[in-house]
Amino acid sequence: MRIRRIVAGFDAGACRRETLQAIAALAAETQAELLGVFIEDTGLLQLARLPFAAEVGYPSAARRSIDLASVERALRARAETLRGALAAALEPAAVEWTFRIVRGDPADTLAAALAEGHAPALLIPPRGKPHAERRVVRQPELTEALLRELIAAARPVLILPG
Amino acid sequence: MKPLPAERLRRRCDPESFAFATTAELEAERETLGQARALDAIELGIGMRREGYNLFAMGPEGLGRHTLVRSRLEAQAGGLATPSDWCYVYNFETPHRPRALRLPAGQAPAFKAAMARLVEDLSAAIVAAFETDEYRNRHQQIEAELAERHDRAVNEMSERAKGEKILLVRTPSGFAFGPLGKDGVMGPEEFSRLSSAEQKRYETLVAGLQKELSDLLHQMPIWRREALRKMRSLDREVTRAAVASLIGELKSEYAGLPQVQAHLAQVQEDTLENAALLRQAKEIELPGIEAPFRRYAVNVIIEHSATRGAPVVHEDNPTHDALVGRIEHLSQMGALLTDFTLIKAGALHRANGGYLVLDALKVLTQPYAWEALKRALRAREIHTRSIGQEIGIVSTVSLEPELIPLDVKVVLVGERRLYYLLHELDPEFAELFKVAADFDEDMPRGPGEDERYARLIAACARAEKLRALDRAACALVIERQSRDAGDAEKLSVRMEALGDLLREADYWAGASGRDVIGAQDVRRAIDAQIARADRVRGRLQEEIVRGTLLIDTEGERVAQVNGLAALQLGDYVFGTPHRITARVRLGAGRVIDIERESQLGGPIHSKGVLILSGYLAGRYAPTRPLSLSASLVFEQSYGGVEGDSASSAELYALLSALAGAPVRQRLAVTGSVNQHGDIQAIGAVNEKVEGFFDLCQARGLKEGQGVIIPEANVKNLMLREDVVAAVEQGRFAVYAVRSVDEGIELLTGVPAQEIHARVESRLSEFADKARAFALAGVKKHAGPRK
Repeated sequence: MRIRRIVAGFDAGACRRETLQAIAALAAETQAELLGVFIEDTGLLQLARLPFAAEVGYPSAARRSIDLASVERALRARAETLRGALAAALEPAAVEWTFRIVRGDPADTLAAALAEGHAPALLIPPRGKPHAERRVVRQPELTEALLRELIAAARPVLILPG
Repeated sequence: MKPLPAERLRRRCDPESFAFATTAELEAERETLGQARALDAIELGIGMRREGYNLFAMGPEGLGRHTLVRSRLEAQAGGLATPSDWCYVYNFETPHRPRALRLPAGQAPAFKAAMARLVEDLSAAIVAAFETDEYRNRHQQIEAELAERHDRAVNEMSERAKGEKILLVRTPSGFAFGPLGKDGVMGPEEFSRLSSAEQKRYETLVAGLQKELSDLLHQMPIWRREALRKMRSLDREVTRAAVASLIGELKSEYAGLPQVQAHLAQVQEDTLENAALLRQAKEIELPGIEAPFRRYAVNVIIEHSATRGAPVVHEDNPTHDALVGRIEHLSQMGALLTDFTLIKAGALHRANGGYLVLDALKVLTQPYAWEALKRALRAREIHTRSIGQEIGIVSTVSLEPELIPLDVKVVLVGERRLYYLLHELDPEFAELFKVAADFDEDMPRGPGEDERYARLIAACARAEKLRALDRAACALVIERQSRDAGDAEKLSVRMEALGDLLREADYWAGASGRDVIGAQDVRRAIDAQIARADRVRGRLQEEIVRGTLLIDTEGERVAQVNGLAALQLGDYVFGTPHRITARVRLGAGRVIDIERESQLGGPIHSKGVLILSGYLAGRYAPTRPLSLSASLVFEQSYGGVEGDSASSAELYALLSALAGAPVRQRLAVTGSVNQHGDIQAIGAVNEKVEGFFDLCQARGLKEGQGVIIPEANVKNLMLREDVVAAVEQGRFAVYAVRSVDEGIELLTGVPAQEIHARVESRLSEFADKARAFALAGVKKHAGPRK
């Protein structure tokens, strides 16, 4: 059974080059269409608007104030970096791919992206490892609650047609 | 007085006394002739393996010192043990101090090759070991453990926050906490609707969680270091498994060499420490001396696989670096870098355990070479460092190689004056060079020595692959060597001059199509040697014959004597006559040496003139003042006069002037005089006699012409064959005198007693006049009394 789509989700957190290369290798291997989705988490943006909003840097552990504008700027920069790195990783793979930036809730965003195409599809949630053990789910069984659970666990999910 | 008979003018070597027809029949002389003293010293010097018993072989050039020393050293060295090989290897503890390894003779190249093979094998083995699934899985496991530990900590923090209704959210640069609302993180509108107490509570909770998270993140680098330690430990474990057997093989091969064992153990330890670098060695391709495996190389600086016995090294260009070795540098990215593989051996390394022959003058004229040599001999260690390091003017990255123990016997070959100068000026010299081998220039020509010398000639001709000499040629060579020694009772052992004569005679024999060198070839070679160096002598004689330089060879003249001077140009000595004249008058007893007054006379010449004054005063005026003023001069001498060989001629000129007795100009005189009027020996008697003979011959020999020489010089006579022939025919004469009386009689034809009487009378006359002048002076000063 051939995977027809790969949906790879990315959040504000850092993504290692090895992960991108593994996604590219997987796409090349399966010749599946790849959709990269960078999620601008509305929860983070809400938080940035709070008067006492602050972040703890990783790995510096330094505490510093944040605001909406600085978070948006940082997200845009992160998304651009990610697009470039993904393009570089995919260059030798010669596969069809797209990359989009979506503001919203991670589970809703990824559910919407999955709904656009046909199964079988592989979902790689943010911080997920492409070669980690996959959960196999039939499309009708993929409820919102299950999706949130899978995203939290950062496990890849193979979605089969119902 | 009778002239010397012809047979006393040249000591012949009679060809008929030889039992051979040509030197081809002779057994070569095996012993070195005339150098018994030097040979004894050399035997002691090379046999004595004690500190400071180094050797200085001294004597003039051309005696064959180098050849003799080398042959003796090689004979001695053959029976000694072949010394160890030496290598430099990387010092893993202090890289800038490369370690010196001693290996048994001839084993260093094999060790070097074994280490090169080991590097090849290590490279492959280490790469293979790190490509195994076992390694990869264990490596990933460590990484996964670390990642899991991070995630778990963050998740725990997230769960704990959730319990306080606070969400942990990822930001592009870290983490942030926000209060949990109805749909995720609470927005500012919803937050503002909370009571101020509730708002304050959230703010306090968030601040506390941020503090906790900060503390947690501070822990993470520690966890990472722990993981890295585990990875390094894994790398060491994998590397150890890969290299242990390879190095173990080498260790067992060199089991008897503790230094090598220790080095191999350090190599093994280093491979474990640098496993990651070595794994990538081939991929990274670091240039030159930064290549990771280079430190396992072996720099063989000296090996004796082809040496039999102890080495005998002759360093022809003994610069500082050529003696103690040098440290080369490589230019890399504009910087000069070096390492232990760029250490190069010097002559002391090559000669270590054996003998080193050096030319003393060359060592002394090379900057810092003498100091470096002495330091090595004193410390008995070779310290390889550049001159720049020695004098502290170079700041390029350099090395301090481990010192190599030195056990060498140094033989310096040089002139005598160098030996004596070093003795006088360098206090360390006597301690370091205790044995002096003083080479003689000549040997006694006793009975039977001509035969031995013929064997030496045979050996020399054979060694040079020359034609054999017939016995007449051999006899002529022996006579020539006696002339070279300047003594009829000695033979020169200047081997270079002998070799030159034989080679040139061989050439002339070849040019004439002869298979054997004959007397005519030797004679031609001698004549050609003289002719090549003879230009100045010829020009001087030409100017005398043409009347530019005034020398009479016939007639008589008062107060004018033909003196004889020897001139040396290069190694060619020739004699030439000089006119010596004297003038006398009433005076205060002073003999003026015009040469000295005009600063053209040397101190020995001045001494001769003063002795002459002493003779006059003692002989003629022992009890009254010598009221004489005299002047003496070498006429037409423009280049200075030195030596006392003309002092008798000067005295004759003075006596002639005082006695008014004309001097026979057909005679020339040489010899020094003492205050008693005895005639003393002088140098270059042969050249001086021949100088006057050549002039007379150029003008046409006339009866009665000849030379007066000191009796003490008769033993030195080895005159040219044509001079001897002229004497045999009565056309030239050589007179030997013992005293001034004999000489003045020959020169004036007046009995000596009469000359002395005339001189005394003249001096008495001067004294009387002087007294009269003195009295007149007293009266004048006193004046008439009133």
